[in-house]
Amino acid sequence: MTPKTILIVDDSRVSRMMARQYIVSLHADWQVEEAGTGEEALERVRSIAPDLVLMDVNMPGMGGIAAAEQMRAQLPAVPISLLTANVQTATRERATQLGIGFMEKPITEARIAQLIAPLEA
Amino acid sequence: MDAHLQHRLQLLESVLCAVNVGAIVLDSERRIVLWNTWMARHSARSGEEMVGQDFFAVFPELRGQRVDTAIQQALYNNFPSLLSQTLNKAPFPLFAQPGVDCERLQQAVEVSPVTAPDAPRYCLIQINDVSIAVGRERLLREQAMVLRSQTFSDGLTGIANRRHFDVAMEKEHRRAKRGCLPLSLLMIDIDNFKAYNDHYGHQKGDQCLIQVAAALAGILKRPADLMARYGGEEFAIILPDTDVEQASLMAEALRLRASELAIPHERSSSDLRQVTVSIGIATQQHDRPVDISTLIGAADRALYQAKRGGRNRIHSCLPD
Amino acid sequence: MFNLSELENDALVEIFNIGVGQAASSMSAIVNEPVRMSVPSISFMNRAEAGRLLAGREATQERICGVSQHYEGAFRTEAILMFPEDKSLEIVRLMVGEAVPLKELTEMEQEAMCEIGNIILNSCVGTLANIFQRELQGSLPRYHIGTSDEILTASGSQADTVLLLHIDFVLEKHQIHGYVAFILDMSALHDLKEQINLYIARAMGQA
Repeated sequence: MTPKTILIVDDSRVSRMMARQYIVSLHADWQVEEAGTGEEALERVRSIAPDLVLMDVNMPGMGGIAAAEQMRAQLPAVPISLLTANVQTATRERATQLGIGFMEKPITEARIAQLIAPLEA
Repeated sequence: MDAHLQHRLQLLESVLCAVNVGAIVLDSERRIVLWNTWMARHSARSGEEMVGQDFFAVFPELRGQRVDTAIQQALYNNFPSLLSQTLNKAPFPLFAQPGVDCERLQQAVEVSPVTAPDAPRYCLIQINDVSIAVGRERLLREQAMVLRSQTFSDGLTGIANRRHFDVAMEKEHRRAKRGCLPLSLLMIDIDNFKAYNDHYGHQKGDQCLIQVAAALAGILKRPADLMARYGGEEFAIILPDTDVEQASLMAEALRLRASELAIPHERSSSDLRQVTVSIGIATQQHDRPVDISTLIGAADRALYQAKRGGRNRIHSCLPD
Repeated sequence: MFNLSELENDALVEIFNIGVGQAASSMSAIVNEPVRMSVPSISFMNRAEAGRLLAGREATQERICGVSQHYEGAFRTEAILMFPEDKSLEIVRLMVGEAVPLKELTEMEQEAMCEIGNIILNSCVGTLANIFQRELQGSLPRYHIGTSDEILTASGSQADTVLLLHIDFVLEKHQIHGYVAFILDMSALHDLKEQINLYIARAMGQA
């Protein structure tokens, strides 16, 4: 299996670190990139060319949903998964509308494993 | 024209020429019919020269620009226009000392329709010199920026900010190396803080940060010990001249203090349903100094282990 | 509540779109970047309803920036351009091109907002006046900040009907939604309806 690249978008440094560690502990050769805001993610997504984007919903500035919408419009082929501590029906529905994934926080090893499983196939 | 009217006309013209504002009047064909003394003074072009000339022959660079649109609005629609100094940088070539200065005056411009009996509308252009106000504002803004970059306190919690941490870390790291002393670093992260914010709102989230910061900072005893806000919900503590055991004791005291605050947290991942913290510890030993980034990396790894181990606990890692 | 037929409504929306199109060109010239503005829809409502709509769905009353101009002559109206506070700051920031923290809305930025209001309102009302072949006088812009109710009542006009335009403003990939409100009394409204129909008749006649 070729090593994959994952882009983690979250304003919390520690959350990004946790997600990175979980991914790397499952696949030491995979590349993990980080962005602290929706805006930064949009700027860098083309050059990073990730196989999966994990997008925190609650961020200052643009916010995860707006960033996911724009990213979907620009790069429809890139899988995105929204991560949120606050499971709201509206968020779940919006994710379905956009055709992207949805995962509840807190980030755990099991949840990360579930999110990256499709890439291992 | 009778004498009274003639006198009045001359009086009004003198007044218009004397006002401390630039005044240009254009007729419906955009010819200059009035160019007052202020304009002459700041453009080095006299009224005699200018009267009768086509406005856009004198100022060809203004054709198609905002001033042009404003003149049209006044002549055709009878509407006044405002040209702010922020959006229109010095449209007219006017100087405090024409011929001497290179920089134009900062200008606030108003273009208004003027009705005349039995004639198509005229248009009045008023130009105000706002250089002083603009200069003052620029100075204030620069001062605010300087102040902001100089400050060492975090605006929300009042403890040291990231900038202070970076500076202090450099200093203590150097001191530890020179004095062959151990240096410990604690990385503290509030558990499930995002969930707290989502559930209780950002204002309560801010209050939580303030409370936790104050409680933890209160435990530090020595003047060289520094607690700083490292990130959104993260704190870092520099403990100079502190070995692994002492650092671990301190970390446990901090962890306990945080949970003693008993701040309710319905969305906490632990059964306690309270706000808790996880703490990562890294110590640079007295005889084995490492890079600052290596030390921080070790504290981060330790923090990760604490989180992974279930949160509300401390963990220590060796820098390698 | 006063309303227009579908045909009259479409005609009026088209007229306003022409107006804001011209405003967009002016603003484009200022920033040297493409600026797009459009009026996707209009509605009529009373002042209280307009206040509620502008206050938004949030329980907390957002502060709104408004720039108002008074017009009279063939008809009389108070015209107000409104954006939520942070959006108007964003527009000014985009137009001015400066990176200054949001909290520092200075007098000069207020003035810039006034000019933006002046450009947009004059374009809208100017187009209306031209198409209706009527003459009006306008005032210089005034800056307001407060709740939607406060801004809508600031002029002191007794008239109660609001013609509300939804405005979409696009600059540098930022899309900002705002409003223009015209406060009109009954006679102005009937005048408006009559003039729209004359406009439609002229357009049909020439078609």
